Amino acid sequence: MKRIPVLTIALLLAATAFAGSSSKKEASAPTPAVHSNLDPDAMRTLGEQRFRANCGRCHAAPQKFSPRAMATIVRHMRVRATITDEDMRLVLFYMTQ
Amino acid sequence: MLLSRLVGLVLLQFFAPAHAHSQAAEVEKPVPILSGNAGVLTYVNAGQGLVDTQLNPVLLVPFGDHWLVEARGEFEGAFQQQPNGSFGGPVSKHLDYLQADYIANPYVTITAGRFLTPFGIFNERLYPEWIRALQPDPLILPVATASSDGAMLRGGFPVGAHANLNYAAYVSVTSIGVDGVESERHVGGRAGVFFPGPRLEVGASWQKVLQDDSKNAFGVHLAWQPHAVPLSVHSEFAHSNQGSGYWIECAYRLSQARFWEKAMRRTELVVRGQQFFNGDISSDAAQALGLPGANTGEADFGVNYFVKDGLKVVGSYGRQLSSAGNFNQWTVGIVYRFLVPLGREGAP
Repeated sequence: MKRIPVLTIALLLAATAFAGSSSKKEASAPTPAVHSNLDPDAMRTLGEQRFRANCGRCHAAPQKFSPRAMATIVRHMRVRATITDEDMRLVLFYMTQ
Repeated sequence: MLLSRLVGLVLLQFFAPAHAHSQAAEVEKPVPILSGNAGVLTYVNAGQGLVDTQLNPVLLVPFGDHWLVEARGEFEGAFQQQPNGSFGGPVSKHLDYLQADYIANPYVTITAGRFLTPFGIFNERLYPEWIRALQPDPLILPVATASSDGAMLRGGFPVGAHANLNYAAYVSVTSIGVDGVESERHVGGRAGVFFPGPRLEVGASWQKVLQDDSKNAFGVHLAWQPHAVPLSVHSEFAHSNQGSGYWIECAYRLSQARFWEKAMRRTELVVRGQQFFNGDISSDAAQALGLPGANTGEADFGVNYFVKDGLKVVGSYGRQLSSAGNFNQWTVGIVYRFLVPLGREGAP
């Protein structure tokens, strides 16, 4: 049992360091949050609806964070709250506008 | 040879949608995040004071387009009021989950490691102090919700134009229960249907222990946010050999009030009713799991005030009725949710 905290810390530190180093390379080439055939206003409206329907089931609306932070949050919530792929993308678009 | 080709074809089918999908839609590159909540809560149960301080850090580390490593720890100090008036008690820590998620395609996410058991909705979605509307746990929370160690498939996808299906299926090789209850092996799953129109979700959970008497546990859950009023309704029912019960909770945001509008928008009233019925295990065994030792009913009333994003002041009063004795329980405290990006965020 005592191995768990040590392994945990080692894994988390390694993961953070690896992800942090890769993110530095990616930061120089920002990409649009979402590509879609819908116009931005329609996507924003849809995104707000999906946000209220999915995220509002559990918690109040948080403040908006940077697009890269929101991308992580939305990926986490996709897994945690089992929201659909389309909803995830629309919520991400809405939360990064 | 034939078998290896067959396995290869299956794997190709499984991973092909993920690759195609990553090309179809680019998203902003995610950055590692340290989030979580910190809270200080004072409980007075049957006249006995308890100061509970908690820090629950959550680390999210994304890799590429499909991977996420996530973990949550809990550091808790529970300081009981002593006869001389001072406070003292244990400081504990444990790992709630440490899991790797692979988003294989729009329908399947594969999770491995230690994860929160998807039985009902409170354990996975509503547990964090900054999310829950009332700070005391529901009485049935310990039923089938000890962290699992193993693997899980989960996901959510549309079924028709007006409903989304979500599911989780898992196998746990060992499980470390509440307060060090023995390890066990179990399998289980949860499925729910969410109707975005009326914002209604209903679902059911099941878990089977793969040892001893192979006991089953069942549960159903409901979440509903009607459009007409700022109301949020959650409810769960659980049945197992350890005990059965239900809770239903309504949280109403006073944003429609026409007086003190600024303050009212930040205020939430909460009411929860619940009952627990003993199972086949002894009273001592039930209490070791964190369950009541006798049939119990409870009503709670609370007020939450959202000072700013992530910071709320909470208070509640509850009355617990059971054959072991009736008592009042008061809660007051403050909870803060934090979020710190750990890498370069780029342009906002």
